[in-house]
Amino acid sequence: MSAPSAVRLAGVSKRYPLLTRRGRLHSLKGALLRGDLWRLQQERDGFQALSGVDLEVRQGETAAVIGPNGSGKSTLLKLVAGILRPTQGRVEVNGRVTALIELGAGFHPEISGRDNAIVNGMMLGLSRAEIMRRLPEIVEFSGIGDFIDQPVKTYSSGMYVRLGFSVAVAAQPDVLVVDEILAVGDEVFAHRCLDRIARLQRQGTAILLESHDLGLVEQLAHHALYLRQGRPVLVGPAGAVVSRYRSDVASEEAGVQVVSGNARRWGNGAVSLDGVEILDAAGRPVRLLSSGEAAAIRIAYTVRVSQEDFVFGVAIHRGGGSHVFGTNTELDGWRPERLAGVGEMVLEFPCLELAPGRYVVDAAVHSRAGLAYDYACEVTSFTVSAPVGWPGCYAPRHQWRPRGPAMLPPAG
Amino acid sequence: MGVLASLYRQRGLVAVLVARDLKARYRGTFLGYLWSLLNPLLLLAVYTAVFTFVIPARVPGAVPYPLFLFAGLLPWLFGSGTLLDAAVVLSDNGPLLKKVVCAPEVFPAVTVLSHLVHHLLALPVLLAATAAAAGFGLVRFPWTVALLPFALLLWVVATAGVALAVAALAVHFRDLKDLLHNLLNLFFFATPIIYTLDMIPVRALRRVILANPVTPLIQVYRDVVLLGRVPSVLMWAWAATVALVCWVVGAWIFSRLRETIAETV
Repeated sequence: MSAPSAVRLAGVSKRYPLLTRRGRLHSLKGALLRGDLWRLQQERDGFQALSGVDLEVRQGETAAVIGPNGSGKSTLLKLVAGILRPTQGRVEVNGRVTALIELGAGFHPEISGRDNAIVNGMMLGLSRAEIMRRLPEIVEFSGIGDFIDQPVKTYSSGMYVRLGFSVAVAAQPDVLVVDEILAVGDEVFAHRCLDRIARLQRQGTAILLESHDLGLVEQLAHHALYLRQGRPVLVGPAGAVVSRYRSDVASEEAGVQVVSGNARRWGNGAVSLDGVEILDAAGRPVRLLSSGEAAAIRIAYTVRVSQEDFVFGVAIHRGGGSHVFGTNTELDGWRPERLAGVGEMVLEFPCLELAPGRYVVDAAVHSRAGLAYDYACEVTSFTVSAPVGWPGCYAPRHQWRPRGPAMLPPAG
Repeated sequence: MGVLASLYRQRGLVAVLVARDLKARYRGTFLGYLWSLLNPLLLLAVYTAVFTFVIPARVPGAVPYPLFLFAGLLPWLFGSGTLLDAAVVLSDNGPLLKKVVCAPEVFPAVTVLSHLVHHLLALPVLLAATAAAAGFGLVRFPWTVALLPFALLLWVVATAGVALAVAALAVHFRDLKDLLHNLLNLFFFATPIIYTLDMIPVRALRRVILANPVTPLIQVYRDVVLLGRVPSVLMWAWAATVALVCWVVGAWIFSRLRETIAETV
């Protein structure tokens, strides 16, 4: 059922040679005199930008790379885009790659937007005929209008970026590599970009993006890879990975060390989640629910260090990483006062309108800034049954009302 | 050759980039494309004035010196201009190499081709001047000009090969550009462009000039375009060997350094 792989990284490492050391690579004279012209490819020491990264992005999936500055995100994107080559490991990419690393890079200021679009499109791998066919669409999407025949040097920076984005997405890439694109352009254009990215997702384009906008990552990405100093910290569903990153940032700001941590569970241990259970309408722990019935999620906790700043949160998602629902006490307006001892937190759903299938639950207790006391991914799961196998995740109560068509109602 | 195959695959892009180069160069100038005709015309006029009235220079044979100089200078300017541009073309296009997936060999190729276009636009000036000189009975019109495509091809192949090497090496060695200026100056005077081989008084020096690999390429070119001489088979072979070696070595150096270009530029 899973789509074919579009990008696969296996054990990828990247080391940059340190060029400025002794300055020897900057001088041909030195190279000729010492005869070390060819030794530059065997440079041993350098800066390790990435080590041991594994990642797979399937067709139609979106993966995000997050992490602090200098963690190797851009290097990873450039490796996938084919701009750099890995020092170790393999990078496999199937299909045409388009990199939105710097929009409008290489636009020539003296020639018209139209000519620049043609050159840019051909660099992205379109033939001249293809780009000519898509040119009206590009001009339309960029909203540049009559300026398209003016030299690019007359463009505002927003127009520049809009044209760059329009050309890049018109290339209909199989793999799209995106570096902080939505930090540019006005609100309207940002929305159009998001729409266009969503359309590419539906068309099966695999997208790999890097962003510091964690909200956007949660919104767009199915999976995320969290890098720190070139090493993968966590790969998994975007929501969980983003939470982990937020927690790490918060603990750094607070000057606290993360006590325990692995891919599925982390936190500083001030509070621990002892158990997470799914309850049915009668309050019995179950693993199987009927669609549309009442249900609840019960979280049992023990406090080691009493807290005045705490948030309980729950996320429900499908195994494949798509987020179904998530909330926390802060979002719903509950203000923390004191957390101590042992207790339970119950989240009730009067009517759990989920489509049939298996769901996975994450539960967490963390500070309002995101510092995790205990964050448990995929701590439990449940299955929803329904009389009809509706696709999707959401199964609201619904009723057909034929006004015109002659139809027989369902039997019974 | 890997470089050639890659360039062939991207011929569309190369063509569009050459057109962009030419468009960008003349966009916004009053005379537009006429400049590439006007530049050589002015150059020829200045040489004629200087070498007729100020320093009356002569070369053996009947050919007027300004015309002789012009016929050697045109291919030389094409070659040296290409190399000087090739030394900066990759760093100029650094943003493209670093941010867009783009084969680096495209850029030196575009440099060679757009300089070639300029050269081809300047050639009619030389041919018209030669025809005019023939009209005044100063020279016989050189019908060997039919062989010019071959002579030009050899010169282009040699230039392209060296341009590839220069482009790739200049990424790693920033001082190559300055070195290149001096080397080109040296070669300009070590090649019979402003003089002929016969004019060199010292025999040993003549040997050195003759051994200069640029010499046969320029001589073959000038022989067919102006002097009306069909170069000997030996001369053709020597010129062709130089061109081929330049290309093979240049393309080899380029492909060895190719992977490092995007990271270093």
